[in-house]
Amino acid sequence: MSEQSGDKQLRITNEVRAYQREWIEKTRQRVSEGEPFAICNGDDCEEILNVMDIPVIVINYWHAIITTKRMADYYLDILRERDYPATVFSMGLAVTMDNKPDMAPWGGLPKPSIIIGGARQDTEMRIMELWAREYGCTFWPMEFALWHGVERVPPPGWFERVRDHWDELVDPYKLDYRVQDHEKLIRYLEVSTGKKFSMAKLTEAMELVNKQMDYWRMARDLIAKTSPCPASLRDQLSMYQVMWHRGTPQGRDFLKAYYEEVKERVETGTAACPDEKIRLMWVNALGTPPRWGKWAEEKYGAVCVTHNYMGIAVDCYARTIKNNDPLRTLAARYMLLFWTTPDWIAAQAKHSNCQAIVMVAGRGTIAAYEKTGVPLAAIPSERDDEATRAALSDFIETRLLS
Amino acid sequence: MAAFDELQKHYHQRDLAARQWKKEGGKVVGYFCDNVPEEFILAAGLFPLRLSGDPWGDAERAGPYSEQGNVFSREGFVASMLHMILNGKYDFLDYLIIPHARDSIHRLYTTLINLKETESALKLPELYYLDNLHTNFYSAGIYNRDRWLALKKQLEEWIGKEITNERLSQAIAVTNESKRLLKELADLRVADPSLVAGVDALQIIGSSMFMPKKEHNKLLKEYLAGAGHLPVRNGARLFIEGSPLDNLQLYEIIESCRATVVAEDNCWGNRNFDVPIDMSADPVDAVIDRYNNKAPCSRMYPLSCRVEYCLRSALESEAQGVIFSIYRFDEIQAWETPDEIKAFKENGIPALYLKDQPYLITEPEALKTNIEEFVQGI
Repeated sequence: MSEQSGDKQLRITNEVRAYQREWIEKTRQRVSEGEPFAICNGDDCEEILNVMDIPVIVINYWHAIITTKRMADYYLDILRERDYPATVFSMGLAVTMDNKPDMAPWGGLPKPSIIIGGARQDTEMRIMELWAREYGCTFWPMEFALWHGVERVPPPGWFERVRDHWDELVDPYKLDYRVQDHEKLIRYLEVSTGKKFSMAKLTEAMELVNKQMDYWRMARDLIAKTSPCPASLRDQLSMYQVMWHRGTPQGRDFLKAYYEEVKERVETGTAACPDEKIRLMWVNALGTPPRWGKWAEEKYGAVCVTHNYMGIAVDCYARTIKNNDPLRTLAARYMLLFWTTPDWIAAQAKHSNCQAIVMVAGRGTIAAYEKTGVPLAAIPSERDDEATRAALSDFIETRLLS
Repeated sequence: MAAFDELQKHYHQRDLAARQWKKEGGKVVGYFCDNVPEEFILAAGLFPLRLSGDPWGDAERAGPYSEQGNVFSREGFVASMLHMILNGKYDFLDYLIIPHARDSIHRLYTTLINLKETESALKLPELYYLDNLHTNFYSAGIYNRDRWLALKKQLEEWIGKEITNERLSQAIAVTNESKRLLKELADLRVADPSLVAGVDALQIIGSSMFMPKKEHNKLLKEYLAGAGHLPVRNGARLFIEGSPLDNLQLYEIIESCRATVVAEDNCWGNRNFDVPIDMSADPVDAVIDRYNNKAPCSRMYPLSCRVEYCLRSALESEAQGVIFSIYRFDEIQAWETPDEIKAFKENGIPALYLKDQPYLITEPEALKTNIEEFVQGI
């Protein structure tokens, strides 16, 4: 992972981390006083829970915390000992199975009153079901999930249409059922917690999401056109944890502060890596900076200035409410957030003035990306090892420096 | 037995009957998994052919589409099927129905629709995606019902006429007859002593998905009529749980260890036919009810329905031991296994857990040694 000195790090990232710690402690306190607490997968129902004032932790974020604390191997072993598949998605379950708060990140999570899981992947519902059993709490199966049975080829330039024309990109009959899925959940939460759902509050939350993503876009655009890059990729990705508070005033305010700090850096000429000579886009599934980042910066001045997660934030979350129906608008986003298409990734790379995209890829992906006009540096794995460095060196020296 | 020889021939030459049907002017509908109502296809006068893979074959054509994550997981099984579609092995298919089953099957669909757009030279059948939900709640049943009705409508468009209730009732009668006869076969397997090898049973069950049902029924009746002459089988009685088995490798090894596979929980085995269709109800509703309420695959919620089904099936077969065989990357199957092993332990039935199995068994001797030790311990 790329190291960075204190004066290069964005102030806002520390404020966000501090807020997250404060949030979990407050949540623990609320739960101890009898309030509900929920666990769900990302993009399944967070806004609904936020609107109902039910604190929720998103499984993706919890797993990122476990990984950041370098506890992944420990918890994967816990799963292996019990004959379960050792997968990243099940690390939260492993923390609960292990039941050692002293060992666990944040001292573990407070006991949830509900765990919500969908059918996004074969295993999600099963793992979440087992997790609820481990806690002795309710498991709520969502019958639909993000990308439920996507049936169509992504139309070119879909990412420019998803905010305002989302209704053209999802199947209406599925959306009808997805809305019903949420209505069932809302009703259950109202009955079991006594909390109320409000369409007016959801409208407000959706507008806050849009505002938050607009600030994200403004910051991203500043970073894109400024060389050397004013914010390290590590800091940019660190802001992603604000995603889990989207639709709240706090979420919007963090992104506003982020934008203002980036703007200040641009105006004062502060750079994350002053020796920037080559700009790269890093693409991976977990939203983590490249482990070889520091090596590439020092050897070639090659800096990863953007990441596919930035595109997710900027292009994919904002939605224009249609027919005065925020729940249907939200449900549509819970069905289709994005397609990882080469034209979208390449558009982001071009926007950020990147000379190449870097990702772990095989020949099918390489061929698809070459058609976009942005070179793709295919590396064999995410490890910072000889094979990765050799692949990158070869690419940079033959494709970018020759 | 001549009947068994014919059934065996169709198990090994899986496209034989479908190609003949096509040659005679008929149309063939390929499908994956066991949740596509073949009664609708039969009633439309089309040939339903369940697609399978080939562990001994290549999977090279699937390679470029398998690189991100375990796109075609289950260790080669789905990759093999994709390869066979892309290399022309299934070039006689007119239509291909791909259900929303496991992730790898869904990805196979998205890969094919993308290829249809980008590689126009590639000869692919017309694709139909059959969505469904993975719970057994009433609301899921309503959604699934609409999807199955939409499939029926699509079939009607393909053939240019309505599928009448009369035609559907006739198709149901044929598939119910198939299920009844296969249940008789299952009874011969669980008899004490067992009369049918698991290897033979898999071929008889499998061939029902590769040849005209009426012809299969006729041959199976002949086979069952001669069952009184089948030699009794001694040795350990085993139940097999795990990943889809569209080939005989595992059963051949097991049954070379003085054991008989008396039953299994597998969509290429007993699970394929174990719920008949109610002939007294409206035929469309009856088909839909059957597919909503059929024996659950491992993707279904809740876990308890899987564990109960697996345990009940094993207990009914009076198995003395259970072998779990799970393909590498078949995670959903692996997630239910610890609970199932626990349930067997509580019922005093020993279990052998074969993890991370390859689609093509490349080290049969090591596997045999492992199974022999387990069988000796029973």
